[in-house]
Amino acid sequence: MKARVDIDKIAKGLGAKRRGRVSVSSGHFGAAQLVAEIQARFRVPTGGGRATDPSWKKKRLVPLKEQTLSRLERLAHDIERKRQIHIEPMQVAAMLLERTLVDITEEDAGEIVESATNENRPER
Amino acid sequence: MNGQPLSSEVRRKRLLVVLFIPSVERDGFTEIDQDDWVDEALDLFGRVFGGATAYPRAKGVWRDDENAGRLVRDNPVVLHSYMEPEAIESPENQALLGAFCRRMGRKTNQGEVGLVIADEYLAITDFEEE
Repeated sequence: MKARVDIDKIAKGLGAKRRGRVSVSSGHFGAAQLVAEIQARFRVPTGGGRATDPSWKKKRLVPLKEQTLSRLERLAHDIERKRQIHIEPMQVAAMLLERTLVDITEEDAGEIVESATNENRPER
Repeated sequence: MNGQPLSSEVRRKRLLVVLFIPSVERDGFTEIDQDDWVDEALDLFGRVFGGATAYPRAKGVWRDDENAGRLVRDNPVVLHSYMEPEAIESPENQALLGAFCRRMGRKTNQGEVGLVIADEYLAITDFEEE
């Protein structure tokens, strides 16, 4: 069983910023594998600035409700203020989307789409 | 030999903290005294968290696309330390570990110092003394 700790509190105590989750396993091979993952995903651009995730190569135009964008802007603003991480609203959206996709089942995704479609259908 | 204390110890020390000790400065080619920093880190983790293992460095390279595709070689040493969750939750221990990381970042001219705690990659980028 993995230990549960308050990672926000620990990050604050260390003066560190949270970058993202990684797969960690024990032993020499686990250590080498982790180096490869960290170097590939979180390398710091020369000249400083926020680490980028180089796997973010695809761009799509996603239509959003105005309140959704406002919520993302507020989240990005709060994150920047409280954690001193500069982040754009759509970067927040991409991270939330990637995190959700890891956990969600096909069935749950289908139910969400069906429910949203019904909500948006004009009443007869 | 009584197996109970060992299994209980294994259960308690179930949180893995990883520290990356760089081999070069942030320019990608100026080497640092990596062995000295590994020894210092081992001393700190031994004293504060009860122990650690530094793994032999793996050779790494990555292409810096923001700098004309220059190849940057960094061969960090990875230090693993298993500990009780309470050990890293202690503000005193966090202060000691944070101070060490900031000093290493400052003295070796890093862009960031990386740690993994509970499967989360944490980066320290502000190396000002507190």
